[in-house]
Amino acid sequence: MNKALRNPVVYVLFILPAFILFLAFFIYPVFTAINNSFTSWNGISKTVNYIGFDNYVQAFNDDAFWKSVRNNVYFILFSCLIQVPLIIIFSLLIANVKKFKGLYKTAVFMPSIMSTAVIGILWGFIYNPDFGLANEVLGLFGVSPIYWLSDKNWAMISILITNAWQWTGFYIVMVLAAILSIPKELDEAAAIDGATGVQRAMKITLPLIMPIVSVVIMLSIAGAMKAADIVLVMTKGGPAGSTDVMATYMIRYAITSFRHGFGNAIAVLIFVFTIIITVLYQVLIAKRTERIEY
Amino acid sequence: MKKSVTMLLSLFFVASTLLAGCGSSNDKNTANEGNTAANNKPANEAKVSDEPFEITIRHTQIGEAKKFRLAILDDVVKKTQEAVPGLTIKLDGVDSEVNRKEKLRGEMAAGKPPEVFDVFGSPDAELYAKEGLMLDLTPILDELGIKDKFSDLGPFTHDGKIYGLPIGGSIEGIFYNKEYFEQKGLTVPKTLDELEAIAEKVKADGKIPFAQASKDAWIPLMTTNNLWSYYAGADITYGFKSGETKWTDENMVKAIAKHQEWVQKGYFKKGELGFEYADMRNQVITGEAIMMMDGSWANSVFRDPAQAGEMVGKIGYFNMPPLKEGDPFVVMQDSNNGYGFSSAVGEDPRKLEAVKEFIKNMWTDEMQLRGLKEDGVLPAMKMDLEQMKTASDDPLMQDIFKAVSEIGNAFPAFDALVQAEVNTALGMGIQQIIGGEIEPQKMLENVQAAQDAANAASE
Repeated sequence: MNKALRNPVVYVLFILPAFILFLAFFIYPVFTAINNSFTSWNGISKTVNYIGFDNYVQAFNDDAFWKSVRNNVYFILFSCLIQVPLIIIFSLLIANVKKFKGLYKTAVFMPSIMSTAVIGILWGFIYNPDFGLANEVLGLFGVSPIYWLSDKNWAMISILITNAWQWTGFYIVMVLAAILSIPKELDEAAAIDGATGVQRAMKITLPLIMPIVSVVIMLSIAGAMKAADIVLVMTKGGPAGSTDVMATYMIRYAITSFRHGFGNAIAVLIFVFTIIITVLYQVLIAKRTERIEY
Repeated sequence: MKKSVTMLLSLFFVASTLLAGCGSSNDKNTANEGNTAANNKPANEAKVSDEPFEITIRHTQIGEAKKFRLAILDDVVKKTQEAVPGLTIKLDGVDSEVNRKEKLRGEMAAGKPPEVFDVFGSPDAELYAKEGLMLDLTPILDELGIKDKFSDLGPFTHDGKIYGLPIGGSIEGIFYNKEYFEQKGLTVPKTLDELEAIAEKVKADGKIPFAQASKDAWIPLMTTNNLWSYYAGADITYGFKSGETKWTDENMVKAIAKHQEWVQKGYFKKGELGFEYADMRNQVITGEAIMMMDGSWANSVFRDPAQAGEMVGKIGYFNMPPLKEGDPFVVMQDSNNGYGFSSAVGEDPRKLEAVKEFIKNMWTDEMQLRGLKEDGVLPAMKMDLEQMKTASDDPLMQDIFKAVSEIGNAFPAFDALVQAEVNTALGMGIQQIIGGEIEPQKMLENVQAAQDAANAASE
């Protein structure tokens, strides 16, 4: 075994299948997209005209594009400022319950195994202005009906809530695993020293699970940047483009309009923006929370 | 040593499995065909032509509302398979929007569309034909002698050649609750003012005058398109692409303002921007709304007890009335959706034969009448109005036939006449109008800007 692995040829042969797949399905498409983004290609034609940075200039000059970028930012902010704290709170609560821990874990995990299309329909009913659960409940408090998905002031927040509902459980299970892997002695020692439950959670558990919380934030940012399916099934980017994110902007203004060159430029921008944000996050925040020593 | 051999073998096994997985099914078929051909070398030519072969038909007849249309397709497929030895037709049903905007486009980009596929004439078929991806049907139609039998092949014609055949035709007009009209003493309006007066009465009665669902912009645009064809004339739409006419024409502004006025007056259900197409029909079926602007194709829903329930037989149809009484009815009438064929079919005589047989069986008077009778789809082939009337004695269909006979000036839907990006801008604009975000003049300026950009790009 060792002899074989010391042979560089065997090494290369082992790497080759994965490397070919990586080249074919990642590197090649990325470079093709970059190349196409400088063209006015309609997605079908065999002749391709290079137009320099025109597609990028057009995107940067389009208010609708920046509106879609802003919606992506809303996704990120909602994930990091509202969803992540909720994930931590629920994880701490579930980790400390004595009974039915499995039931709670399964219940919160359920939405993440459902398809986005199903969730879109389900929440479509909840948000229905006539008979939806949301308006029924609010009606009990005298709130007049809200047109959740039809009103541009409510449509984005409706999508953000649904998206958070879909993915919170998945992240809770991740954080929960981190909490349960912390040696019990630490918590017990603090308890003996007289620390309250809240103090133990804040001073012991939270610092120890920060690496996994950091991963959750990273995944949330990446998910927020490429969000499209939930928007498509709930509002199709409407009303009047008010819930368009970069990916749905790309579909609306490029793909359905036979403007693949422009679409590729938007795809490249999504890629670049995502890299910038994740690198910034890694450099500025995540590095500080990486090392944990018990 | 043994271990290294085992590892190398397992590596090759994994690698070959992966590579096999990457192979396309077409390659496999070609390989199989190659083997068969090699094995059959001593056999004579006639035997080879009996070898099984397959063509795929991409259709969009899925769901309850299209079950009759699927039954017609099934019968045509059966007939075609019986007539062509060795032929197996594989049906591939895909949602119309998904096929039009994603699947077929992807296949076209890869240069490998199915042999037969559902396609929209303009602008889609024109673009595909320009790239040489669609089969020129002109010689086949000449051979079958049916070239002149179609009402309008314009959307499928490019450089004088025909690249697709419409499956049916349609008009757009207003479905209405006949029972309600009778109860309230309302009659079919002769002018737009009368229509608005009815809408006011319906609203005062606590009902919704017009069912509407604007999550997809093409639905409210049916109303807008008809309004601007009255205010600015139907011909104005033809000039946008050439630059002869402008979206910002003052009569266009009037038409958009009228649509906005209807929204502001509460003629449509509040929250329409969040409703799906099916919700709009449900507003009529439940009696919540009294009228609905839709394509004549919607008749199949209102004639089906499973979908319309007790509303079957209570729905009528009329054309959107003109501005002044006695002026001609201006109505959207087109046949932009049908089947196209891959240009690759032309390189395989047996597939070409299969396609010929499919066309021969699909586009007949019998099938067109059957489509009209069972599915309520107006014929795409020329047909006498009296003959059409015999196809169905259903009162709703009779209303539609009457509406067809009243048409003074027909126009194709705007999306067949302008570029896709203009369609996108217009869709965005009408949703902004409905949402009260923009004034008609500004909205039309935005559309004109998209039009100018699209015109400049196509030069």
